[in-house]
Amino acid sequence: MKNLRWILPSLALMVLAPACILTSGQILIDFDLPSVTAASSTGLIGEQIDLNDNDDYEEHKDKLKDLSDFAVLGTFRNTGLTDVDVEVYVTRDLTTLNTATAVRAGGTKLWGPLHVPAGESVTIDWDGSAALFTSAGKAVLLQEAKGDGNFTLYALGAAGTYQFDIDNGVLALIIDVGM
Amino acid sequence: MRRVLTLAALAIVLTTGVVQAAPIGVGVGIGAYGGVRIPILQDNVDRGSLYGLRVPVKVIPMITVEPYYLSSKLGDRDETIGGVEYTRDGFDHTGYGVNAILGMGLGFGLHPYVGIGSHKLERDGSPEIKETAYNVGLGFGLSVIPKISFVVRGEMNLVVTGDTSRKFANGTLGVTYSLLP
Repeated sequence: MKNLRWILPSLALMVLAPACILTSGQILIDFDLPSVTAASSTGLIGEQIDLNDNDDYEEHKDKLKDLSDFAVLGTFRNTGLTDVDVEVYVTRDLTTLNTATAVRAGGTKLWGPLHVPAGESVTIDWDGSAALFTSAGKAVLLQEAKGDGNFTLYALGAAGTYQFDIDNGVLALIIDVGM
Repeated sequence: MRRVLTLAALAIVLTTGVVQAAPIGVGVGIGAYGGVRIPILQDNVDRGSLYGLRVPVKVIPMITVEPYYLSSKLGDRDETIGGVEYTRDGFDHTGYGVNAILGMGLGFGLHPYVGIGSHKLERDGSPEIKETAYNVGLGFGLSVIPKISFVVRGEMNLVVTGDTSRKFANGTLGVTYSLLP
């Protein structure tokens, strides 16, 4: 039985490990985004998100630990005459900023750039989209997800003049939750 | 869950009395295994396959120490989001570590075990996850040919990710060749 002296602590570690480590999960929540038309660096319209509208988030928000995966999904159609690099910014609250300058000053870059050639459409896949998230944007999303659940997303071109639409837009989040 | 693990630990302790009655001797083997890997409570990955190597070394009575290596390709996950089906790349999961098996790990019988390792999860579009992993499982060994035994195992593998974890249920079939004795 002496040989159990080192094995039993290992077993005890497994048994006594924090419950959320043993009983956690990764759950998908998603939000439909309205069709967006971004026609210039002025006249922007943000999409206000209230995570509390999602039943899965509402059920698990008290046990939310982290965000393990993200995606902005949809079809990006460049209707302008020049290529565009689409970026998505996030502000921590429900805001109504309407210029790119104000969004960049008051928000955090969440996602992008996604290059869309002039006159073409790009449907981003989950893997490609997940790679475009920024760590600063993730931090903001996590804080909001652990906080009041309210934030605003803005889609804009990285530079110059642009004109693009987003169809079937979705924000998909995989949340790490304790059970 | 905690109750189940407590009962499992109790069962392991109780079975040691039986194991003590087994013949005592040094043993070294080498084995290969493969099987299925099922993610538990994970919405962005699907079941896949795994395979690997084990080197059971029985140096003291009752306990076999078993360094292992595993490699797994988890399945891509299809999800319909906003009316459109999207696919998320499954993880490539590799890891190494050591299991401590109660009983004669090289031969016939039931062998509960626990283990610890360093595991790495990689997929397109995400930073790699490289964290400590824990294993707990139960194996059944059957030796029908001298020096060769077959082992069926059911295992829970848990990769710690901060305050949470990614958990997998593994079912494997392996074959072990006894180098010593």
